Amino acid sequence: MYKNIFNITDIIIILLATFFSIWLYNLFWFDHSWNNNTSSGKADFLMVQFANNSAQHYPLHKDIKINIEGSMGESIIEIKQGRARFIHSPCRNQFCVLHGWLKHNNDITACLPNRISISLHSKNQLQHSQFDALSGSQ
Amino acid sequence: MHFQEVSKVKQLRFVTNHQDHLIALLAALAITIHILESAFPSPLPGIKPGLSNVITLFAFLVYGWKTALQVSLLRVVIGSLLLGTFLSPGFLLSLSGAIFSLCSLMLMQWLFYVLKLYHYQPGAIGYAIVSSIAHMCGQFLVAWYFFIPHPGLFKLLPLFITFAVLLGIVSGIITQSLINQQNLYTKNTHNVS
Repeated sequence: MYKNIFNITDIIIILLATFFSIWLYNLFWFDHSWNNNTSSGKADFLMVQFANNSAQHYPLHKDIKINIEGSMGESIIEIKQGRARFIHSPCRNQFCVLHGWLKHNNDITACLPNRISISLHSKNQLQHSQFDALSGSQ
Repeated sequence: MHFQEVSKVKQLRFVTNHQDHLIALLAALAITIHILESAFPSPLPGIKPGLSNVITLFAFLVYGWKTALQVSLLRVVIGSLLLGTFLSPGFLLSLSGAIFSLCSLMLMQWLFYVLKLYHYQPGAIGYAIVSSIAHMCGQFLVAWYFFIPHPGLFKLLPLFITFAVLLGIVSGIITQSLINQQNLYTKNTHNVS
């Protein structure tokens, strides 16, 4: 019965599709070379923003600790070996601290109770638009 | 469908032929399946069991691309009108996916025709997989240009393509069984319709 349904070309197409999807996993989840055309996903500076104030930029090549005063208290952000993370935050769930290291370009984390967000950016990235995402009612 | 002069008084009557009835039947089936599918829960917004693609694929393989185009566009527009998502982002994604998938089906058929590989033509499953991957990629392109320009969107793409391949295989099996069954039916009853 199964001979009527599957063709030899069908099986070739199924194999090609699985290889295509595995290649996509490798490209987008592990390789990160698509993130920036020039520098293979490397970030240049860290952008820290509190609420609606102007953002502060810190270069990633110096290892420093930053104390930022938020709505609930003080958050401590560490930059080390080109990566960034929250060390301490006065929130209850600690999602920002549990996120761990921000390594690649356009990685972003926020402490919402404290109203602080940190993100990595690169210098030669043009800002395509003002917004991150648009959505409407489904 | 065309208008026809009925008598010398020049009345116009709206006359439908057999192909219109066929398109209406297939479109009604596709819309019903689309609405029933929207009741299922899904793991991610955007992953649906693409069972209405079965009708489009069946129409394309058995009746031709013009029928499939009309059935597909009718399904998208009327389905979104009935569900209340007309002209919303979901509607635009659905429309772009349907157009991309139909173009990919036509391209595949033309490719196998031009290269003269008549013996190695794929069955419904090959067409279904290519159509569902093209559907997903079309939706992603439209989402990237209009709704979410952030490059983090592409981290979702491998996951969606995996689901597209798996559900494409399922809908391809269903379509191929339908086509086999239809051939059996017309052979036994000698019904020329």
